[in-house]
Amino acid sequence: MLNYLIRRFVVIVIMAFIISFASFVLLYSAPGGPLEQLASLQSTTRRPDPDEVERIMKRYDLDLDIGVRFLRWLIGHPRGAIMINGQEIAQNFQVGCLKPGKAQLVYPDGRVEEINCAKPVYLRDLDGRPVSNGVIALDFGRSQQLARERPVSQLINTRLGPTLLLMGVSTFLAIAIAIPIGVYSAVRQYSRFDYFFTTLAFFGSGMPTLFTGVMGILIFALIFKDLGLPYLPAGLATSNRDVVIPLFGQIESGSVADRIWHLILPVGVLTFFSLAGWTRFIRSSMLEVLRQDYVRTARAKGLIERVVIMKHALRNALIPFVTLLAGVLPTLFGGAIITESVFSWPGIGKLFINSLTASDYPVAIAYLLISTFLTLVGFLVSDVLYTIVDPRIRMS
Amino acid sequence: MITRKLPAVLGLTAATSMILAACAAPAGTPIVQTVVVKETAVVVETKEVEKVVEKVVEVTAAAPAEWTTPHPILSDIRVRQAIAHCTDRSALIGSVYGYLPDEQRSKLFMDTFIPKDSVWYAKNVDPNANIVDYPYDPEKGGQLLDEAGWTLPEGAAIRVNANREPLALRFTTTNAPFRQTWGAVFVSSLQKCGIQLLPSYIPGSIWFGGNSGLRRRDFDIGAFAWVGETEPPGVTLYACDQIPTPANNWNGQNYMGWCNEKASQAIKQANNTLNDAERKRLYTIVQEEFSKDMISLPLFQRLEATGHNKELKGLIADPTEYFSASAADWELPGKDTVVIALGQEPASLFLLQESAAVAVVVGQLVFGTFSTQYSYGFQPVMYEGDQFPTIENGGAVNAEVEIKDGDTVVNGDGDVGTLKDGKLVDMEGKELALTGKDVNGNDVEIKAGAKLPQLTVTYKFKPHKWSDGEPVKKADWELGHKVACDRESGAVNFLTCDRVISFEVLDDNSYKVVYAAGYQPPTYYLAPFGYYPSHQKLADGRTLGEVEPKEFKDLPEVTDTPLGTGPYVIKSWERGQKITLEANPNYWKGEPKVKNIVVQIFDANPAGAVAALLQGTVDVVGKETLGAGQELQTVIEENAKGNIVAEPVGSQTWEHADFNLNIR
Repeated sequence: MLNYLIRRFVVIVIMAFIISFASFVLLYSAPGGPLEQLASLQSTTRRPDPDEVERIMKRYDLDLDIGVRFLRWLIGHPRGAIMINGQEIAQNFQVGCLKPGKAQLVYPDGRVEEINCAKPVYLRDLDGRPVSNGVIALDFGRSQQLARERPVSQLINTRLGPTLLLMGVSTFLAIAIAIPIGVYSAVRQYSRFDYFFTTLAFFGSGMPTLFTGVMGILIFALIFKDLGLPYLPAGLATSNRDVVIPLFGQIESGSVADRIWHLILPVGVLTFFSLAGWTRFIRSSMLEVLRQDYVRTARAKGLIERVVIMKHALRNALIPFVTLLAGVLPTLFGGAIITESVFSWPGIGKLFINSLTASDYPVAIAYLLISTFLTLVGFLVSDVLYTIVDPRIRMS
Repeated sequence: MITRKLPAVLGLTAATSMILAACAAPAGTPIVQTVVVKETAVVVETKEVEKVVEKVVEVTAAAPAEWTTPHPILSDIRVRQAIAHCTDRSALIGSVYGYLPDEQRSKLFMDTFIPKDSVWYAKNVDPNANIVDYPYDPEKGGQLLDEAGWTLPEGAAIRVNANREPLALRFTTTNAPFRQTWGAVFVSSLQKCGIQLLPSYIPGSIWFGGNSGLRRRDFDIGAFAWVGETEPPGVTLYACDQIPTPANNWNGQNYMGWCNEKASQAIKQANNTLNDAERKRLYTIVQEEFSKDMISLPLFQRLEATGHNKELKGLIADPTEYFSASAADWELPGKDTVVIALGQEPASLFLLQESAAVAVVVGQLVFGTFSTQYSYGFQPVMYEGDQFPTIENGGAVNAEVEIKDGDTVVNGDGDVGTLKDGKLVDMEGKELALTGKDVNGNDVEIKAGAKLPQLTVTYKFKPHKWSDGEPVKKADWELGHKVACDRESGAVNFLTCDRVISFEVLDDNSYKVVYAAGYQPPTYYLAPFGYYPSHQKLADGRTLGEVEPKEFKDLPEVTDTPLGTGPYVIKSWERGQKITLEANPNYWKGEPKVKNIVVQIFDANPAGAVAALLQGTVDVVGKETLGAGQELQTVIEENAKGNIVAEPVGSQTWEHADFNLNIR
């Protein structure tokens, strides 16, 4: 068991490394970024100052080769010439290029070498240049655009609460509702109840949250308000002013009632969406179990139907369900990108989208890396849980 | 009901991407220029012989002479004029602003590079200005094409020349739905004249990319928008030496390759004279030449609006000023909080580094403003006696001085350098042109003993206090100048700093600036430097005055909770959610009537902001948040019904199609 866990953990670390390198390289090769930003910041009446371009390149390590840049992001090194026993080593090792073009390197003995870079950057130039402690030390660096120069971890922290709340509540509700509906649909297969929820499930999984969210705002926020009915907010997590709702009364800004009031619509949309799939999953898993011999045996023993369903069938039907829960871990952190955007919910999903549109690479990569890690851990947890709920499965 | 609001809410993503694509005014490509052989680094010797580099010598690459060949079709002025005549601009406007009444649509029409509602527009300066008009007239267009040798064969739809080559041109612009909509109308209206446009709608990141699309002049006809300014720009857009080619590392924004000496001279002079009447005359010349040569077809001004609660009084929506400039005068009867929707969170309130619209909107609440720029003009706010320091009122002096070796001098191109042994050398060590302008705007050779004009301006302000009650004092102004001109401070722009040779704070409310000889900025009367509260206590016990400029951009006391002299004070900033501000009791005009302002962040979600405005949870949605998409239409329609206020106005941003006069 321990052996297995260690082995799995090593695989996770390797996978996380590969994925982070890939996303790092891909993001930095995409167009846009701080230099483009600089260009549009400057007034149209003059040319960009080469000084400024170089300063920005140095500030964000854009002059360094991608591998060196990645290393500095990952482990916070190199930070200058390598010192061994007080001797500087490899200080003249070229690690990047500040200015494209051509230059000649003139050696003291008169040799001349031509290189494809007008302003090479050497290892020693990295001395004193600001750098993070590296992702290894859980330092994700500083934001380049969204909250300039503020630590990425701070940005993530401020968004974590709203996301956990939204995803936690909607996931819990989806499970709490999906299990009874799924079980009942299986037990009363092809009943009117079953048909109704089967249709609803297809409807729910077929409608993207973008659509249901927008529809929800239109109907429950705008039209209900125009009609004088109790309405829901069109977005955000809290109100800025006290609100009076028809037939309901006053909601104080920032109160618990206010927070719940704002949660209803986004939670409703998310629950409706994930409910659909999970109901179907429970139903089919339950149907399979209900056909098993031991269920027939239980019935033959004369057990009452409720005990047969709840004790004998459901517990076994839930085993595959555990694997599904593995995927919940990263979504709890990562949030629902579209739902958060539609409802202006101040969560992590929206932070990710913003970081991509603003080319704020450190933030985007931090999100990707944490999600990757949580997904991998989620798989591990579900594998472990599997052995617990199903003793027939062994780890090796 | 449903049909009314559904499209507004559905236009969710489209509008944002469009604004992003359209509003990024492409400034020149940040390409480092290759300079003639020059030492850039000398390495100290070490024992490791093999690795030692004595020096690095930069090699000048021979620039290929490309992009100077005349375009086979578009270099003929008759073809360009024909295209102008064949473009049904009302139909173009109608396709994107179909919901506007006719008379409002016609106001958006443009015929030069300056909007008709600007004081700089040629016909507002001189009603007899010779602006060539190109009314929609396919017949006239056809005639011009016939003359140019492009004839329509019997039964064909596309014109051909004597060699039977078709009149087909590439039409490139962004893939924003807005552009694709009017682009389709553009293509079909030229089709009627027998001109075939081959449209390619590409992502803004490529079209405006640093090394692609527009900046590499990779188009025949290219459409995008420029953002007009209160002071008309244009030097980098229309001067002869601003044509991007490989030889100059693609510097400049004259993407057409237009070189009209008369216009080029006029626009350079206009940017180097202090006389308003003279500048208006010069800009009229440029506009006349611009319309005559038809190198860039102005299409229309974009539409914009600022939507707000109809109960909110005192808000001024203007194409050249942000709505928050009027915040001190707002009133909202019965409510003590005004909620503003913002489409993006300000990255920082350190405005030397951050100049995004959203940062300026919040900045104006916290810092106030020395002057406003309503209706394409500047108005003094904080200046003593409510007037700018001008040459006319004696606040500024433009004296003729004799320059000598070692002086900092600005030449006729506006470049700054130091006079050294008869050469004008900039900070990079590059030699600059030795032609300057004398007091009368005539050319003069820059050399020791030459006479150039030198500006000295004394900026005087009304006495006022920081929001904590401390009066503004001398040390604050000194700190403001120090930070703005420190290369490490993170400021994006040292244009002015490099052209100031002396800065002296006279007392708590005024300072004097002596500019470099030859520097004649048209807006010299606007104060170039602000201030910082040098007494502000920081979390670590220091005061702001003791902090090194390079630390400013990292200090939360500067970026998040700055102390200002504006009408509002930041109480809290919940990142990603909202900024809460309260009225400043020490504001110089008295405490504002509205006690609280909440800036609510609607990240890239204008539809959400509009829904909240219609629901009444938000009171103001500014033009920078509304954008130009479906949301704009919704607020304008709701305005017509009287539910909210959102008067549509022509924006500073204008669409146009550039003709590329050269090929590779």
